[in-house]
Amino acid sequence: LQIFEYNGSAVVAMVGKNCFAIASDRRLGVQLQTIATDFQRISKIHDRVFIALSGLATDVQTLYQRLVFRHKLYQLREERDMKPETFASLVSAILYEKRFGPYLCQPVIAGLGEDDKPFICTMDSIGAKELAKDFVVSGTASESLYGACEAMYKPDMEAEELFETISQALLSSVDRDCLSGWGGHVYVVTPTEIKERILKGRMD
Amino acid sequence: MKLDTSGFETTMPTIGFGSSNDMLDGFSTVPSFDLPRTTDFDGFQKEAVQMVKPAKGTTTLAFIFKEGVMVAADSRASMGGYISSQSVKKIIEINPYMLGTMAGGAADCQFWHRNLGIKCRLHELANKRRISVSGASKLLANMLYSYRGMGLSVGTMIAGWDETGPGLYYVDNEGGRLKGDRFSVGSGSPYAYGVLDSGYKFDMTVEEASELARRSIYHATFRDGASGGVASVYHVGPNGWKKLSGDDVGELHYHYYPVPPAIAEQVMEEAAAE
Repeated sequence: LQIFEYNGSAVVAMVGKNCFAIASDRRLGVQLQTIATDFQRISKIHDRVFIALSGLATDVQTLYQRLVFRHKLYQLREERDMKPETFASLVSAILYEKRFGPYLCQPVIAGLGEDDKPFICTMDSIGAKELAKDFVVSGTASESLYGACEAMYKPDMEAEELFETISQALLSSVDRDCLSGWGGHVYVVTPTEIKERILKGRMD
Repeated sequence: MKLDTSGFETTMPTIGFGSSNDMLDGFSTVPSFDLPRTTDFDGFQKEAVQMVKPAKGTTTLAFIFKEGVMVAADSRASMGGYISSQSVKKIIEINPYMLGTMAGGAADCQFWHRNLGIKCRLHELANKRRISVSGASKLLANMLYSYRGMGLSVGTMIAGWDETGPGLYYVDNEGGRLKGDRFSVGSGSPYAYGVLDSGYKFDMTVEEASELARRSIYHATFRDGASGGVASVYHVGPNGWKKLSGDDVGELHYHYYPVPPAIAEQVMEEAAAE
């Protein structure tokens, strides 16, 4: 029983010109059986920070609820939203607290920082941060995703082109993975708007 | 206890008796594979069984109805979580009037079905008449029985039309052989059975039966992660088999469940606001 492959997931985030895109698949399964095709993996922390969690679905939901709670507390005390770098450190600390009984998920964090500079990072299940300038991936389809992103990514893409690129990378990678897919969910975030789109994918 | 297998031998003489004729040696007798030279044979066998992992990630089905036998399968090959191919031929054409389905190890199924085809042809030449579906499935079942426990992974259905009419047998790597009207084999079989059993009637036309088979495979590919690709449907009638359709399952989904198109007004409004 491979615990990270129990539910199946695919998550990817990409950096563009003063914008970022974060995408995930929509399948929730129990090993080979598909249970749902509308599972929410990407969550908004605030207008400029998004987190997507791959891995065991129960930990995805619980960890998301804990992080929202911590951010609301921060908002009350500091009277402002968290910066994406700060949020990433918070996630890393929360994951390491459970070093000897970890949350079985791998988060992907994406946000717009100071001066609308996009920020992305990913972590393993015990909080090791990995910052990247171009793209980060996570989930059962991660190897395919690395290949697809490496081939399709260009720096400084505008929002529309970034959406096309991330969607194609996600759909072609999950089509090579039994445990993820059944549609896609993409958020493209610019300083002025958040665009949420559902992708029509192969439902097999 | 050594089983007496003399009854299983075919009656035709081995060609080139005693001489080493490489071409025919493999066909006329039981193909003999070298056994591995190891100190721990049982442990090796156990590992060999685990290697192929008789999980049978696939969906195949076949059923008998008024007009013959309908055979259908998906086309995905998976190695654990990775999809290694979306275009595998899982319905094997043994001869122009018999089909076999593939579930389990691809190499095992392909090899043994081809071997069966050879045996069927040799039977035809020796006996001047076609082999029955019952006979063909028995040849395969006996062959697989002799390799029982060695890690072969074969879950196949032999479908054909002979003098007694349409025939359908299920044969597996344990040496089991079952005669029946409706079978589905593979990890997606529970889902396929659900659709197949609720829609099945003996008196169906070829179109109705092929649509039922296609829908059953489609539903199995939707729910089962290890099934997908293309849903192939074959029909076996009195004149032999014929491939009816090969539809991409991704497109079948939107054919059965079309997405309502977005309303045009919304798009117009956004453009005006800018």
